[in-house]
Amino acid sequence: MTEARRYHPVQIIYDLWQLIKNSFFFILILFVFQAGSDAWWVTYGKYALLAIIVLRILYIFLKWLTHKYALTATAFELTEGIFSKKRKTVPYAKVQHIKRETKLFHRIFRVTSITFETGSQGEESAVTFHVVSREEADRLEKEVSQRSSDVIEVDETEETEESELPAVEPDRTVHFHPTKKDVIKASFTSLSFLAVIPIGGSLLSKLEDTFQMEQQTEGFFSAIFQNWWLIVISAVILLVLLIAGGMIWTFIKYGKYEIASDQEKVYITKGVLEETPFSITKQNVQAIKIEQSLMKRILGLAEVKLVCAGGMGEDSADVNSLYPFLPVRKAHQLIVEILRTYEITDSMQRLPRKAFWLRMLTPSWFWIIATVILYFWKPDFLGLSEYWWALSIVLLILVVISRVLDYKHTSYTINDQFIQLRSGGFTTSFFLSKRNRLIEVGASRSIFQKKMGLASLAVVNRAKPVLHSTIADVPDEWADTFFAWYKGRRRELEIR
Amino acid sequence: MPEQLQTPQNRLSKKSVNVWLLDETIENVIGFVVLIVLFFLDYYFDWVNWIGWILIALAVISVLGALWGFIRPSLLYKHWRYDISEEFLQLKFGAIKEEHQLVPMTKIQSVSTKQGPLMRKYDLYSISVQTMGSTHTIQMLDKDVAMELRNRIAHYAKVEEMDE
Repeated sequence: MTEARRYHPVQIIYDLWQLIKNSFFFILILFVFQAGSDAWWVTYGKYALLAIIVLRILYIFLKWLTHKYALTATAFELTEGIFSKKRKTVPYAKVQHIKRETKLFHRIFRVTSITFETGSQGEESAVTFHVVSREEADRLEKEVSQRSSDVIEVDETEETEESELPAVEPDRTVHFHPTKKDVIKASFTSLSFLAVIPIGGSLLSKLEDTFQMEQQTEGFFSAIFQNWWLIVISAVILLVLLIAGGMIWTFIKYGKYEIASDQEKVYITKGVLEETPFSITKQNVQAIKIEQSLMKRILGLAEVKLVCAGGMGEDSADVNSLYPFLPVRKAHQLIVEILRTYEITDSMQRLPRKAFWLRMLTPSWFWIIATVILYFWKPDFLGLSEYWWALSIVLLILVVISRVLDYKHTSYTINDQFIQLRSGGFTTSFFLSKRNRLIEVGASRSIFQKKMGLASLAVVNRAKPVLHSTIADVPDEWADTFFAWYKGRRRELEIR
Repeated sequence: MPEQLQTPQNRLSKKSVNVWLLDETIENVIGFVVLIVLFFLDYYFDWVNWIGWILIALAVISVLGALWGFIRPSLLYKHWRYDISEEFLQLKFGAIKEEHQLVPMTKIQSVSTKQGPLMRKYDLYSISVQTMGSTHTIQMLDKDVAMELRNRIAHYAKVEEMDE
C-alpha cells in the first residue's frame, strides 16, 4: 500500500477556474447587466453571491488540504471530508474503463485528468482525478491494470502535442484524417441558413411597400433607395461573416480529427483547441447507422454512427458518431476497414410498386392537423393571412414529395448474417446490423397491408435507450424470409 | 404472413372471453351509472347548455365504446397465438393490425405472472416477459398452462445465460 497523498496542487487552480466558469453567468447578471439596479434581489443577490464565492474558495483550499487518495493492493482508498471524515473504497477489479482527457486547461499546466469508471451506478461509479501530473497518471494506470484481474479494459486514449509524441501502439492504424477539401465541404452543410435570404428579402420588400404607401413624397423615395443599398450591403457583410463564422466553427470542431483503430478498439480524436479523445470497443458495436440530411446528400456526404452497448451490460451505452461529414464512398469503405467483421453490399431490393400506391393513399395526419390549425389560426405570414389554404397546399406538396422520396430511398436486403435497411424522405438513414445483434424482431400488418400482401418490420438493438429500427411496406414473402433468417441466429452466437 | 414458417399455435384460455366480457360489463355499468347521475344533475340543477351537449357526446361515445368492447374479446381470443421453443418466444395478435413478435430466449431477462381479481375468480393468469427493450404480455392463460409456460421460459432463458 502506498501512503495517502494529496491531489495535485494545480487542482486548486482547476477548482478556482471551474468556480469562475460556473458563477460567470451570475456575476454577469448581478454586476454588469443589473449593476445600476436597486431591486431587492440584486442587492441581496450580490451579497449572497459574494458570500458563496468566498465560502467556495475557502472550501477549495480546505478540500485540497484534507482530501487524499491512496492505492492499496486491491483498491482505491479515497478520504474526504473537512469536518466529518469519509472513506471510500473502490476495488480495482470493478474498474472497467480508464479514460484520460487532456483539455486546453490541462495542456497549459502540462497535466492531465484520468477517470476510472466502474460499471456500477451512484456515488462510487467512478474515481476521477481532475488534475494529475502525467507521470502520476501513468503510475495510477499501471497500478490499476496490474493489480486488477486481467479483464480490465484500458483506454489509452491520450493524445499529447506533437512535440512529444507518445509511443503509439504499434498495431494502431489511422484510417481517416479530413483534408482541407473535406472541411470546406463540411462547412457548406451549415449553410442551410441561406434559405433565410429569400424570406428576408420578401419581408424587406414588404416593408418598403408600406413605406411607399404612407410617404409618397419624391424626396423620401430616394432616401429609401439609398437605404436599400445600405441594407443590401450590410446584409452581404452579415452573410460573409456568417459563412466565415460557420467555416471557422467547423474547422475548430472537425478540422483536426482522427479515426484510428487496432484489434479491439476504434479511436476517435477530435478538436483543435480541446482534445477529447474517446474509444469504442469493437465488440460492443451493435449496429451502424449512416445518416444524410438533404444538404449532405447534395454534397455527397454522410454521417456514420456506431450504436454501442456498454462493456458489461452497464450504462456506458451510447450512439457515437465517427465523423459527420464523410464522403459516402469513404464511409462504406471505413466501416468495412475499421470493423473487419462487417460487410456492406450495394445491391439492395426496392419496394414493390403497390407499396407506392399504399403510401400515397394513406392519409397524412400531419397535414390534416396542420390544415385544421391553419384554418382556425390563419397565421399572419408576410401579411398573407387570407391565403392560409396556399400554405396548406405547400405543406401537402412537401408531404407528397417526402413520400415519393421515401419510396425511392427505401430499400432492404439480407446479406448472409447482415441486414441492411434504408429509408427516409428528405433525410435518409441507412441501418446495418448483424443477426446476433438484434435482440428481438417483429412484424405488423394493417388490414390494407394484408390485402396488398405487404408488411412492416421492426428490429431492436441493444443500446441505451434500445434502438428501434423499422421498415414499412416490404412484400410479406420477404417478411417471411426475414423471420426465417432471424430464426437461424443461433449459428453466430458467440459463446463466452 | 408466415405461411411457410410455422405460425404459433397455442391459444389463450377459452375462459378469457368471459373474463373480458365480465370486465367490460362492470366497467360499462359503472360508466353508465355515472353518466345517468350526471344527466340527472344536469336536469335538476339546470346546468349551462354546453354541458348537456358534452354529456350527450359522452353518452354516444360510451355506447359505441361499449359495443366495441363487447365485440373485442372474441376478436382478441380469435387472433391471439403464442408459441415457445428452446430458442424463441413467438407471439401473434391483433385483428385489425396484425402483430408478430419473435423474441430470443437468451434476451429474456425476467418472467412474471399476474392475476387480477376477476382473473382469480376464473383461475387465470397473465404472463409478462421482460426483455432489455420491452415487455411482452400473454394475457389470460389457464393456471397450469401459465405455470408450465413460466417455468419453461425461465428454464430456457437461464440455460443460455452465458451466451453473448
